[in-house]
Formats: sequence, C-alpha cells, structure tokens
Amino acid sequence: MGRSTSPRNVASAEEPIVYVVDDDASVREALRNLFRSVGLRVEVFGSAPEFLQSKPPDVASCLILDIRLPRQSGLDFQTDLAKAGIHTPIIFMTGHGDIPMTVRAMKAGAVDFLTKPFRDQDMLDAVTAAIERDRNSRNEAKIHSDLRARFVTLPAREREVMARVTAGLMNKQSAAEIGVAEITVKIHRGHIMRKMAAKSLADLVRMAQTLGMQGDAP
Amino acid sequence: MLSPLVVVIVWPRSAGPDVKSAAMRKQTLKSWRSTEHSLIGSMVLALLAAACTWFVLGPAIAGYLVAIVLLIGLLLASLIMMRVLAGARRQMEAAIEGRATAEQRAIEALRESEAQWKEVFEHNPVMYFMVDANGVVLSVNSFGAAQLGYVVDELRGQSVLKVFFEEDRDLVLKSVDVCLTNIGQTHSWEIRKVRKDGSALWVRENAKAVRQLDNRLIVLIACEDITERKEAENALRQSESYLAEAQRLSHTGSFGWRVATSEIVWSEETFRIFGYDKAPSVTLDKVAQRIHPDDRARAQQTIDRASRDGKDFNHEYRLLMPNGSVKYVHATAHAVIDASGDIEFVGAVTDVTASKRAEEKLHEAQAELAHVARVTALGELAASIAHEVNQPLTAVVANAAACLRWLNRETPNLEEARSTVESIIKDGDRAGDVIQRVRAMVSTTADQKVQLHVNEIINEVITLLQHELFSHGVSLRMELAPTLGSVLGDRIQLQQVVLNLVINGIEAMQPVMDRPRELVIRTVQAKDDQILVMVRDCGIGLAVENADRLYDAFFTTKSGGMGMGLSICRSIVESHGGRLSASGNVGPGATFQFSLPLYQEDDSL
Repeated sequence: MGRSTSPRNVASAEEPIVYVVDDDASVREALRNLFRSVGLRVEVFGSAPEFLQSKPPDVASCLILDIRLPRQSGLDFQTDLAKAGIHTPIIFMTGHGDIPMTVRAMKAGAVDFLTKPFRDQDMLDAVTAAIERDRNSRNEAKIHSDLRARFVTLPAREREVMARVTAGLMNKQSAAEIGVAEITVKIHRGHIMRKMAAKSLADLVRMAQTLGMQGDAP
Repeated sequence: MLSPLVVVIVWPRSAGPDVKSAAMRKQTLKSWRSTEHSLIGSMVLALLAAACTWFVLGPAIAGYLVAIVLLIGLLLASLIMMRVLAGARRQMEAAIEGRATAEQRAIEALRESEAQWKEVFEHNPVMYFMVDANGVVLSVNSFGAAQLGYVVDELRGQSVLKVFFEEDRDLVLKSVDVCLTNIGQTHSWEIRKVRKDGSALWVRENAKAVRQLDNRLIVLIACEDITERKEAENALRQSESYLAEAQRLSHTGSFGWRVATSEIVWSEETFRIFGYDKAPSVTLDKVAQRIHPDDRARAQQTIDRASRDGKDFNHEYRLLMPNGSVKYVHATAHAVIDASGDIEFVGAVTDVTASKRAEEKLHEAQAELAHVARVTALGELAASIAHEVNQPLTAVVANAAACLRWLNRETPNLEEARSTVESIIKDGDRAGDVIQRVRAMVSTTADQKVQLHVNEIINEVITLLQHELFSHGVSLRMELAPTLGSVLGDRIQLQQVVLNLVINGIEAMQPVMDRPRELVIRTVQAKDDQILVMVRDCGIGLAVENADRLYDAFFTTKSGGMGMGLSICRSIVESHGGRLSASGNVGPGATFQFSLPLYQEDDSL
C-alpha cells in the first residue's frame, strides 16, 4: 500500500493519442485540426504500414480508420492489429453503402463507426469514449500484470494456501487439506496478504478472481 | 436544195417545141428560093415580049418600046435587087443554118442533161414528190418510192398521206397548206414517214408550191432521209436527258471555267443548285454572291489559288439562298490545259445538303446515344462519385467544427482559424470540381473540340473511378508519358472513351481470383504524330470468335451490359481522326488502345 503508483493512474500519466489513418490528405488534415482544436494529441498516417512503423507508445489511444484504404482495407488492417496484439480501440469511418463492411468491423471489435461526413461532436464523443475504454483496459491490463507479478513471488505452498483461502475454506480446512498445522496456514496467509498487497480477504478474493484462480484449486 | 426542184420544173415542159422551130426555118428558106426563081422567069418573059413587039410593030411604036424598056429595066432592077437580096439571104441562110446546128447541138445537150438529171432525179438519194393541192401524188422518183418500199406506180395517184403515220397526218396537211398559201416559197420541216412494211424513217422535207401552166397548183417536195442523224440526235438528246436526269437525281451539276476569259458555263442542275435562272454564262461575282457570307472569303481564297496555280481543287461551302435557306455544296474541279495553253477547269458541284443534314442527324443521334451511355455509366459510378464528393465534404465539416472551436477558445486562436478556413475553401473547391466534372459528363453539349492534354483527361476520369477500382479490388498503375503533345478534341467525349475502357477493364478482371487485378493505363507519343492511349487489364481476355463483333452495337458478353460502350468509343475516336483497337495480351487479359492525331498549331480546320 506504500506504492506510489496506483494501478488506476498508470495510463493517465501520459496524454492520450488519437491516431488517424486515411489515404485522403484533406480528411486526414481536417481531423488533425479538429482534434488539435480540442487539445487532443493526434498523429495522422496515410496508410496502415506507416502507422505500424511509427511504433506507437504505450499510452491510452484510439485509432480512427477509413474503412476503404488503398491496397489493404481497414478491415484487414484490423485483423492484422489484433494478430499483432495491438488492442487499440478502432473507430471506423465509412462512406455510404458500406453496411456489410460496418457489420464485419463491429463484430471484429470496432468500438464505433461514423459515416462520412460526421458531426464533430459525434467524432469527439466516440474518441473520448474510445480513449476511456483504452485507458480502462490498459489499467486492467496493468493491474493484472501487477497482480501476476506479485503472485509469482509467492512460493508454491503459499499459492496453495491462497487458492484455498480465497476459495472460502476455513484455515482449519485448508490445513487439513494441505496436511499442515492450522497455525502454519495462518502464517502463510499473513505473508500472502502482505505480498499481494491485499487490504482484506475480500480484496484477496477479487485478486484471485482477476488472476483466474477459481479453478486453480488443486 | 433548189436545184433539183428547178430540174423538176423544167423537165416536163421541154418536149417538142424546138424540133418544130427547126422545120419551120427550113420551110421559110424554100419559099424564099422559089420567089427568086419566079422573079427571074418573069423578067425573061418580059424581055421576050418586048423583042416580039419590036419585030411586029416596028419602031413606030417607040412609046411602047420605052414602056417595054422601062419594064425591062424595072425587071432588071428587080433582078439586081434579087441578087443583092439573094446574097443577103444566103448570108442569112448560112447564119440560120449555123444557128440551127447550134440549136440542134444545144437541144441534144439539153436532152443529154435531161437524161442525166432524170437519172439523178430517179436515183438521187433524195425522195422527190410532186403532189397536187389535194395531196394526190402526181409523181415520185423511183428512189423515193423504193425508200418507202414501194414501186412508183403504187404511189402515183394515191394520197401522199399514205406514207405518213396516222398521228402525223394533220401536221402534213398543215405543212402542205402553208406551202399552198405561200406560193413559190420553200418550206421545210422534219417528219416521220412510214414504209410499206410499217417501219419508220425520219425525213427532212423541203417543199414549195408552184403554179403550173394550166394554172393548177402543185407542191414539189424533196425529202432527205435524216433517220441516222435523227437517231444520233435522239441518242444525244437522250444521253443529254439522261445526264440531266442523273445530275438532277444526284444533285450534281457540272461547270466549266475558262480562267483567262473568266467565262463560266453551268449545267442546268448547277443553275438549279445555285437558284439562278438559266443563262448562257455566269460570272464569278454571281457565284460569290450566293456563297454564305461566313464561307465567302474561304471559298474565294480557294478559287483565287486555283486560278493562280491551275491545279485541281475541291472545297465545300454553304450557299445562302434568297429565301434564307442554307445549302451545303461540294465542288470539285479538274484543271485542263487547252490547245492555246489556257487553263480551263471542268468540275462538278454537288448539293450535299441532304447528306449533310443526315450526317448531322446521325451525329445528333450518336451524341444522344453517347450521352445515354455516359449517364448510364455515371449511374453505375454513383457510389464512386458520392465517395469523391464525400471526402472533401467530410474535411469541410470537420474543419468547420475545428474552426469554431479555435474561435470559441477563451483566447480565440485566429491563426489556426484562418488556416482552417483556407483548408475549407480548398476542400469546398475540390468537391465543386467533382460535381462540375460529373455535371459536364451528364451534359449534352455536343462537339466542342478544343486543344487538350490526354493525361489530364485520364486523371480527371480516374478521380471518378477511385471507388470503383477499390470496390472491385483493382489496383491501378498509371504510366503516363511526362511530355505529351496536345490533341484537338472534345473533353467529355474523350473522357467517356477512357471511362468506358477502364470500366471494361475492371469488369474483365472480376472473375480473376488467382492473381492481383492490375489495370495499367499508358500514354505514349508515337513517331507518326499520334498519341497512343493504352488500357491493359489482366482479365478474361478476348475470345477470338468475338473479335470481329467487339465494336458492334448491342454486342456484349456482359450480363448487365447494353453493348454500346465500345461501339460508342469507336465512333468517338474515329470522329477525332483516330483509331480504336483491341488485342489480346501475351499473358492474361487484353489491351485496348486508341490513337489520336497530335494537334499541330498550323492545323487549319
């Protein structure tokens, strides 16, 4: 609990970035202008490869993608990003009559789609929502990875104890199952609570859930 | 022509009287001689009577003697007179004798000549008729009879109408009447005669009426066979009428123009075309008068040049008729140098108004069809066009929103706002351009040939096709020659050609799944002052069996096609003086290529 960085603040430390990928320079620049006018950090690209080469930093961001891109469609690009483990939320810009593509995009996890020309507020709302979502997922990912990091410091016996305790077993029951004295379980539990930085048993239970330990009981 | 007539007149009267006069002369001579003899006899008797008286009565009767001597003297004087007279008579007799011989010779000569003339008359290839006032044939020469298939006796005494066609008989009677009322004057006319066998011959008749000694009027007619001439004439007339008819039908008149004398001769049809009354000759001024004011200078130039150079020429110009109508004519002339070294043009002038109008109509129909095809094609491109308008529109809307936000800041950021507005203008213009382009292609404006650049046209079309290329998964490669001359053409029409060829290429590649769908547009400046535009696809290619029908209207291999595209493209390219061709690629697909002549500054229209 003495840690200076709360998991919720991990991503907000840096400004979120809006990425725009559109082959049309006018649209690209107009979007840059729009986001700049509301004080958002924005980076624009003429094509998907350009975006990938830019090595985006690990900050909350969203990607605005024209569904019709030269050579590689926005949809294919979406698939590639997912494969590459990049989970930046995608807002698609579509023209008229692109319904089937839109459906596909949404199914593949796009957060929103806007039909050109769009109202600025719709775009800004979508971007705000997307960034928030990215921030959240980044936070969750951070929490998860912190937990995992703490969890891996636990010796095997403590993991066993943690699994039983968070599964709702009494100390005595756990001791009996593991075949150690009840007092030993209590000592392990104290170590666990400290190492995992859990404020309460309930906190530890939530962590176990996050780590997906429910089914982990041997 | 009169001489045979004279013969005819002389001949019937010439038998007899000269023979009679010779006999009379002989008689006169005989009586003269017997008178002389009786005078001498009576003188001798008177002398004998005086001598007897002397012997019987003696000198007493000297008074009687004196009377007797006086008587003798008188007789003597008579005798001397007789002698003198006889001398004179002998002289006269000799003269008379000589004259008689000459007369005899003359008569013989005359007879001979008569026979000759008769021979001529009978066998001269001229038909002679002598008819009375009622038209009954009094005489005819055997040639004349033979010509008509008769013998003389078959005609003599018959009505002369027998040798004329029923329908011509009135004319015959009228002509004979004219002769009879103008006695002694020769009249001539041409008429058909009918032979015994019914066949016809044309004759020229010379006739005159004469009064005979017995005061009867007869008409003497000499006719010559002019059938051949008539046939030639008819043939000529017919050929002339055929020619005139052909000229009328083909609206082609002929003309001759002798440059040195400025003499112009026109055919009837030429007069009709120019709308002038027929006249023996025409002047260049009159020609120029009719030429449309807008074409006059150009036509005059051609004519001037021709008269200077003496070279063949042909030109087209309009005529402005007095009623305000306009005719299109095409004149072509061939220069001929005559014997005196002068230039003469022989030519034809054709009224091409009808074909010009038809051409215009065809052109209109083609333009209309092209327009329909264009609109149809644009309809298919609606999504593409919407996309092209939507892009700048999106930018405009986004920029406008941004601009507001720059301005609404606590401290308005005017610098950002200004540059944003500039972007808005730029994008608005871009959207406007697209709409302008589409509107132009939808417009029906016909044929406005201006100097333009092929690459520009291609780029303009491609901007409308981006979406189409994208949605069909086609990548486009442009290989446009950086330095390319200009062409003279109609922007919209040429855009239509490119549009059609590209859409064809895209569609041809639809079934292709195993290779990238690539469309290549290339422009090349060829050596022979041609600009080539090639559109190459890697699609299904051309089926050999369809190669011939490629440009046929309504021929299509596409299920949704009207089959007008290539046919329209070809007519557009050809109307620009170029060619459209198609060929299969070595690899998959086909290449469509069209050429356009390079625009040269000095090209006169």
